[in-house]
Amino acid sequence: MTDRLILQNVVKRYGDKTAVDRISLGVKEGEIYGLLGANGAGKTTTMRMVLGLIYPDDGTITYGGRPYGGDVQRMVGYLPEERGLYPKVKVSEQIVYLAKLRGMDGAEADKNLRYWMKKFEAEEYYDKRIEELSKGNQQKMGFIAAVVHRPQILILDEAFSGLDPVNVELLKLAVKELRDEGASILFSTHRMEHVEELCRNITILDRSKTVLQGDIREVKNGFPREQILLKTASPVEGLDAIPGVTGIEGDPDGYLLRISDESAAVPVLTEAMRQSEVRHFEVKEPTLNQIFIRSVGERNE
Amino acid sequence: MNRLGTVIGFTFKNKVRTKSFVITTLLLALLMTIGIHVPFFIQLFTGGDNAGSNKIGIADGGQTEIAQQIEEYVSALPGNELKFVALQGSDAAALNAEAKKQELKGYLTIAPLANGPFPDVEYVSENGSVPADVQAVLQPALESAKTRFIAAGVLSDEQIAQLTTPVQLGSVSYDQLNGNTGGQPTDGPESDKFNPMNFITVYVLMTLFFFSAMLTGNMIASEVTSEKSSRVMEILITSVSPLTQMFGKVIGVFLVGLLQIGVFGVTIAINLMLPHNRNVLAGFDLDFSQMPLDVLFYGLIFYILGYFLYALLYAAVGSIVSRTEDLGQAVTPLTMLSLAAFYIGIFSLNSTDSLLMKISSFVPFTSPTTMIARIGLGKIDFWEILLSLALLLAAIFFFGWLSAKIYRTGVLMYGKRPSFKELRKAMKAYKI
Repeated sequence: MTDRLILQNVVKRYGDKTAVDRISLGVKEGEIYGLLGANGAGKTTTMRMVLGLIYPDDGTITYGGRPYGGDVQRMVGYLPEERGLYPKVKVSEQIVYLAKLRGMDGAEADKNLRYWMKKFEAEEYYDKRIEELSKGNQQKMGFIAAVVHRPQILILDEAFSGLDPVNVELLKLAVKELRDEGASILFSTHRMEHVEELCRNITILDRSKTVLQGDIREVKNGFPREQILLKTASPVEGLDAIPGVTGIEGDPDGYLLRISDESAAVPVLTEAMRQSEVRHFEVKEPTLNQIFIRSVGERNE
Repeated sequence: MNRLGTVIGFTFKNKVRTKSFVITTLLLALLMTIGIHVPFFIQLFTGGDNAGSNKIGIADGGQTEIAQQIEEYVSALPGNELKFVALQGSDAAALNAEAKKQELKGYLTIAPLANGPFPDVEYVSENGSVPADVQAVLQPALESAKTRFIAAGVLSDEQIAQLTTPVQLGSVSYDQLNGNTGGQPTDGPESDKFNPMNFITVYVLMTLFFFSAMLTGNMIASEVTSEKSSRVMEILITSVSPLTQMFGKVIGVFLVGLLQIGVFGVTIAINLMLPHNRNVLAGFDLDFSQMPLDVLFYGLIFYILGYFLYALLYAAVGSIVSRTEDLGQAVTPLTMLSLAAFYIGIFSLNSTDSLLMKISSFVPFTSPTTMIARIGLGKIDFWEILLSLALLLAAIFFFGWLSAKIYRTGVLMYGKRPSFKELRKAMKAYKI
C-alpha cells in the first residue's frame, strides 16, 4: 500500500532560524503516525505545513499523489492544539458550517454531527454555545469539528491533552474507528503511552531535526534492553556479583536489576532458579518514554 | 462561489442575531422616531392655551390709518392665517377683558399720538411675548406702515411699494449667461442644483457613507479579531482560501449594514407618512418628487465601492491584531481617514469647485463623499466621474490584493500587534 501523505525533505526557515530541517515521512491509509518531540522541536510547524497554513521553503508534500490545492483542503481535517471554535455560536451551527466550508452537504454534516455526538455522549450540547461548555467538552466538539466531514487525512495536535481518563478512552476509540475506516492520521502528543497504544510508525523530532524514525518495534529493538524484572518466592542473594549487572533494587516481590549487557540475563535467571522459585522473569524492553528521554535528552546535554 | 455563499450566510446570520445588533438597531430606530416627532411635539406644546386662535386685536388709539395699513399688509401676504379685529376699550383692564372674551392670541396697542413721530406699538398677550410666527408677520407690516407714515404725501404709492420690496440677488453661471446649457437634456438642472432636495440627498449620502464605513468596518475588524483570538481561524484558513473568507465576511457584514439602513429607512418612511407629521413636513416646503435621481444613482455606486475599499482595509487591520482590546488603537488611522473624507465633504458643500474638492474627488479614500458633493451640488464633467470611479476600482483591487496578503499572514501571527517591518518579514517567511 502506498503512502497517502508524503513529506519529502521538507525545510522551513524563519529568518536565519531553521524551524524544520529536512523532514521526510509517509502516512499510509488506515494508519496513525506519531509525531513526537519536545516543545519547540518543530511539530506544530510541520503540521501547519501539512495543512497548507504555511508553505515549506524546500521539499515537497503530496496528498494522495497531488500537491496542495483546493481539493486537498476538503479531504483534510484538523484539530489545533488550541481549540478553535466560535465561543458565541451554537455547537450545531458552527460544526455544520465548518463541514460545509469543506464541501460537505448540510444535511449530511448534520447527520454526521449527531452520530459523533451520540458516540461522545454529548447530545445535550447540540443547541448549546461553546462558551457554555466545559473545557473537556469543548475539546470533544473540536474533535467532532475536525472529523465531521469524514477527512481522509486527519491532523491531531495534542488531541488528548486536558481530558479525563474516561474521555481519553472515548476519543481513542474514535481515532481507532477512523483509522479502521481508512483515514491517514498524523498524531502529535507528549504522552508516550498513547503513542505506544495507537501508532505503528513514529518520528521523533528534536530541535528541528529527525532523531529517530520508523516502526515502533524496530525502534525499540534498536535500543539495548537494560532492565530485568524478577519476582521470586524468597529473597535471592549475590545477584549483583554476576558480571554485567550494575545495580539491584527492590525485594522478592519485584527486583529491578540494571544491566549493561543483555548476556547477563541467563546467568541471573540461572542463579535465581538455583536459590528460589522464580515466579516472573522479564528482560524489559525500553519504554518509549525512556527512548524519548534518551534520544532527546542526550542531545540536550 | 458556493463556499463564498456559505461564509456570507454564516456571517450574516450570526451578526444579525447578536443582542448588540438588535438592541442598537431598535434603539436607533426609536431615536429616529422621536427625532421626527420633535417638530410635532413642539407644535403641540407651544400651541398651549390659545391653540387654534389666529385672531389679533388692534386697539388703534385713534390711529386708524396705521391699523388699516397693518391689516392690509398682512392680509396681502401669501398663506396668511392671521386675522385682525378691532378692540374697543378705554383702559388696559377693559382691553384685556375683551381680548380674553374673544379668545384672541393677543392684541396690538398703538399709542394715541396725534402729530409726531411714528407711535409706539405694543403687543399685549397672556405671557407677554411675541410668538416667532406673529413677529415675522408684524415686523415688516409695521415697517411698511412706518414708511407710509413718514413718506405720506411725498412719495407715490408705487414708490413706497418699491421701497419696501427687498432687493433680489439672482445667480447664474457663465454657461447659462451665454445661453449654453452644456448639452444637458433638461433645461434647468444647473439652476436646480441648489434646491434643498439636492442638498439633503448629498448630505444624507455622505453621512450614511461615513457611518456605515465606520460602523460596519469596525464590525468586520472585530469579527476577524475574535476569530483569530478564538483560534477558529486556523481551521477556517485550512478550509477556505483567505480571499473567499475575507470577501465573504465583507459582503456578509455589508448585507447586515444594508438591513440596518433598510430598517431605518422604513422607520423614517412610516413616521413621515403619519398624518400629523405630513403637515409638519409640508411646512418645510420639501418635495420628494424633486429627488435628484442621477445623484442618487452615482451616490449608490460610490457608496458601495467606497464601502468595499474601507471594509477590506478594516479586515486587514483586524487580522493583524490578536486581541479585541488592541483593536481600537489599530483602527485609528482608518477612522481618521474616514473622518477626513466626511469633513472635507461636509465643509465644502458650499464651495464644491474648490481645488481641495477637485483633488480629493480623485483620491480613492475621499472620493466616495466628495464626488457625491460635486455631482450633486457642483459642476462636473462626465469623464471626471469615470476617472474617479476607475481610480476607486483600481484602489479596491490593489488594497484587496494587499489586504488578502496581510490577512493571510496576519491571521497566523499571534501575540502583540506586529509592526509593518515584522509583517513584511512574516510575509517573506510564509512565502505569501
